[in-house]
Amino acid sequence: MNAESNSSPLVRLGRVELTLTSNAGPVHILNGIDLAVDAGETVGIVGPSGSGKTSLLMVVAGLERASGGAVEVAGAAFHELDEDALARERGRNIGIVFQDFHLVPNMSALENVALPLELAGIADPFRRAEEALVRVGLGHRVQHYPGELSGGEQQRVTLARAVAPGPRLLLADEPTGNLDGETGEKIMHLLFDIQAEHGTTLMLVTHEMALAERCRRLVRIGDGRIAEDRLQDAKSASHG
Amino acid sequence: MADGVNALAWRLARRELRGGLKGFRVFVTCLALGVAAIAAVGWLGSAVVGGLKADARKLLGGDVEIRLMHRPTDEAQRSYLATNTARLSESVEMRAMAHAAASGGERTLVQLKAVDGAYPLVGGVTTVPASPLANLLGRDGGMFGAVVDPKLLAKLKITVGEPTRVGKATFRVAGTITAEPDRVTSIVNFGPRLLISTAALAETGLVQPGSLIQYYTKMMLPAGADFASWRGQLDTRFPDAGWRVRAPDEAAPGVKRFIERLTLFMSFVGYTVLLVGAVGISRAVSGYLQGKVRTIATFKCLGSPAGLIVRVYLMQILVLAAVGIAIGIAAGIALPWVALSFLKGLLPVEPVIALYPVALVQAAAFGVLASVTAALLPLGRAREVPARDLFRAAAGALGNRPRPRFLLAVAVGIAGLVGLVFLSSTDKWFALWFVVGAAATVGALALAGALLLRFSRWPRPGNAVLRLVLANLNRPGTSAPGVVLSLGLGLSVLVAVVQIEGNVGRQIAERLPEKAPAYFFIDIQPDQVEAFERVVRSIPGVSDLQREPTVRGRIVAIAGKPVEEVAVAPEAQWAIRGDRSLTAAASPKADASIVAGDWWPADYRGKPLISLDANLAKGFGIGVGDELTVSILGRDITATVANTREIDWSSLRFDFAIVFSPGVLEGAPHSHIAAARATPDAEAKLERAVTDAFDNVSAIHVRDALAAAAELLDGISKAVSAVAAVTVAAGAVVLAGALAAGQQRRIFDAVVFKVLGATRRRIAGTFALEYGLLGLITAAAAVGVGSLSAWGVVKFLMRMDWTWLPWHAATTVAVALAATLVFGLAGSWRILGLKAAPYLRND
Repeated sequence: MNAESNSSPLVRLGRVELTLTSNAGPVHILNGIDLAVDAGETVGIVGPSGSGKTSLLMVVAGLERASGGAVEVAGAAFHELDEDALARERGRNIGIVFQDFHLVPNMSALENVALPLELAGIADPFRRAEEALVRVGLGHRVQHYPGELSGGEQQRVTLARAVAPGPRLLLADEPTGNLDGETGEKIMHLLFDIQAEHGTTLMLVTHEMALAERCRRLVRIGDGRIAEDRLQDAKSASHG
Repeated sequence: MADGVNALAWRLARRELRGGLKGFRVFVTCLALGVAAIAAVGWLGSAVVGGLKADARKLLGGDVEIRLMHRPTDEAQRSYLATNTARLSESVEMRAMAHAAASGGERTLVQLKAVDGAYPLVGGVTTVPASPLANLLGRDGGMFGAVVDPKLLAKLKITVGEPTRVGKATFRVAGTITAEPDRVTSIVNFGPRLLISTAALAETGLVQPGSLIQYYTKMMLPAGADFASWRGQLDTRFPDAGWRVRAPDEAAPGVKRFIERLTLFMSFVGYTVLLVGAVGISRAVSGYLQGKVRTIATFKCLGSPAGLIVRVYLMQILVLAAVGIAIGIAAGIALPWVALSFLKGLLPVEPVIALYPVALVQAAAFGVLASVTAALLPLGRAREVPARDLFRAAAGALGNRPRPRFLLAVAVGIAGLVGLVFLSSTDKWFALWFVVGAAATVGALALAGALLLRFSRWPRPGNAVLRLVLANLNRPGTSAPGVVLSLGLGLSVLVAVVQIEGNVGRQIAERLPEKAPAYFFIDIQPDQVEAFERVVRSIPGVSDLQREPTVRGRIVAIAGKPVEEVAVAPEAQWAIRGDRSLTAAASPKADASIVAGDWWPADYRGKPLISLDANLAKGFGIGVGDELTVSILGRDITATVANTREIDWSSLRFDFAIVFSPGVLEGAPHSHIAAARATPDAEAKLERAVTDAFDNVSAIHVRDALAAAAELLDGISKAVSAVAAVTVAAGAVVLAGALAAGQQRRIFDAVVFKVLGATRRRIAGTFALEYGLLGLITAAAAVGVGSLSAWGVVKFLMRMDWTWLPWHAATTVAVALAATLVFGLAGSWRILGLKAAPYLRND
């Protein structure tokens, strides 16, 4: 299915810079990030607030355009694509799980999950969406609207929406940030289970070391730079 | 591919619309109001014009009408017409005085009509008592009968069966007229109808040479005859007849013109309602899309191209526009029904109730274009919503700058609206004035809104409440400029209407009676002149008697070109529409204002010369040295313009647009017209003395004519004010929407004030001050803009004296203050009673 060989990284960032303007002057968010993530890898990204970890995720998702350097995801040079091409790449290859869920309030759980499938023109979107919802344990809630679901259920819908199109890259930004401990734990189990089932590449931004340590690889960001990038032993990187 | 994208966009739009219309109430209301105003005005205008068309043959009195001034058709003409038509009827119309037959009784000016036995060719005269016209008008006991407008009985204080004297003849009032088929209810009536037979007319002694008498021949053409070819043959046979020939499509051109002009003015007010609505639409779409920022960002994160997002929301807007337009069209059809029940009997013809698709399609087209154009900028900004905002805690905002293609689309939309205004308007010049005026008004009010923001930032008063009020007016996302623009537009129209109405009303009620004569006297025979002057001068309190010989004539050529081929300016069209009163004079009037050329010597007896109204000369595109040809009693007289005069017609001065040099009219049968001033006490005496002494002379009471004009004006201004009130209502809807949009912020403000120890009274005072200041500034801007527009209309369009009427302006200020305070405080009242704690816990 993959066009690239297994040796070619799915995500490659080369000397990526991100500078945003503000009233007080330019703010340097990312300062020369070099990062390669292979297909199937799980990467936990940690760092203090304002270190640039969420910005890094946005650059990888094509939601923020790097001020400098090269960004390649699934063989596409994001730094060369326009906004609509980036949107199409996201639809094809990237699933995103947000801290605040970001479900469309006027759409049912089923319609929310079907949305990226419809946008990508994938056949039979509602059947696939329903399968995804069943997979996250919400087969009985398909016609419910976000306002009728608990926080944990909403995050499950978000997860189902992210994985339903079968993305090669799953980006998760503080996925348990708005959930209580027990619910958060269940969501993380589900996330890693699904990742393992499909062999999806996962980049997980979190401020909780315990979550990050479940990933095979841990990247620590500080002041817009990679301060640490290490593989963890298979035992500690447990997601089962 | 595009179909697939549209299908997907439509699916998503439908899902989005499940949220309901809550955020779009202002959108739908504004659009419905604008469309309803345009549709109602267009529909009503079409219904009345449709009534004119439907009854055209009846109104004309046949298939063809021929009219001659001063003289009837001659034997050859009558014989030709009788031979070449299926049927014909002859009638005579003139002004005359009707007297209660008792000596010293009441008298009044009447519209006398004498008809033959064939009248009417189309329709029937309805009378009370119901009886064939021939029976009612026939001679009975030596006295002819007459049927009259019931108003005449009231004026003469007589009843049916009693006699009335007209000229030398006395008539028995045989009944009253309920309906007269070929009489269009005149816009301004100078006298009630008195209908007699042609045979009886001869006995009145009113038919005198030069008297203002119109002779009509109404005809039914043979079956299958074509009017154009019939007319061609008529012109070939009688090329110099000097008559006016009309077909049914020109049955009542004056009324048609009046209705079209009134519809035009009211349409412009309707467009203004939509303009105000467009501000509301734009704000409503902005507010709705602002609430959708996260959804839009989510779409983008999930792989939606920006173009798809624009389609999704554009489709929603189109669906809502369809709802608003449907409501507007329904109201636009329903409103005239209500209006017609009030207007029954006041309209010149019976309106034809039918579906007028053109009027409704025009209104819908305005609605679609206005809503899409108003929505484009917010849509363009929605397209630029950055998806990255989903990763940030702070609420996202619409993008700041739409792409140039959206700005271009807005420009195209505005151009489309302007084009539609021109396309829908019967008068392109007025349309141009409206577009320029509307653009200037929007510009001025937008400037006022911008200045309000700037100045509310500038002074920082020591008073905390005032400081807070000013800060509220210019906080980010403030609705103040939108309120100034939308409510200001509505109020500007109201100010302009009220100021114009006030100025015209003042002119009629105060200024004209000061300047105008008390009476005009017509049909004075040359041999009566001396006696007439003696009678008038003998009455104490009568002054300034002026008298001129006059004959009616029609301008047939300007500078050698037939008048139909000359591009005459709109303001000069009146002079070529029908017969005009002409005179001849050896010397100019003492107060004549000659602006070009010279008056002829008093003893001039050369080739015909003309002294022409300077404005007519300008409208005709001619000047001193050019020729004008006038048809008088069937004879064309070509004269050279010797000079032009400035004439202020608005003063009702006794003057003539065309004055010939001496000798030109001497051979023509003519009568004299006179005017005189009189003190209020002397007015009745003057009328009695003249009409007692001269049966054939008619007295036109200027005060009565002005009252009739004032009554007409009152009706017009009520109609325009009603539509203008819709403009203010649209402004109020926008205001209410803007205030509702700020409700959450106000709740938060109130909670913070309460925490800091403010009483509810104090909070209410702060809100009232903010709303009051907003209303005051809006009113000030509207008074400025509206007064300026009114000044332009009164001074340059109506050519009247202008006076700024402060009380009329004060009314508008009061309306604005009341609107902002009532809407504002009504919305804030609930806030004052809210408990602070739940909000603090939630926040």
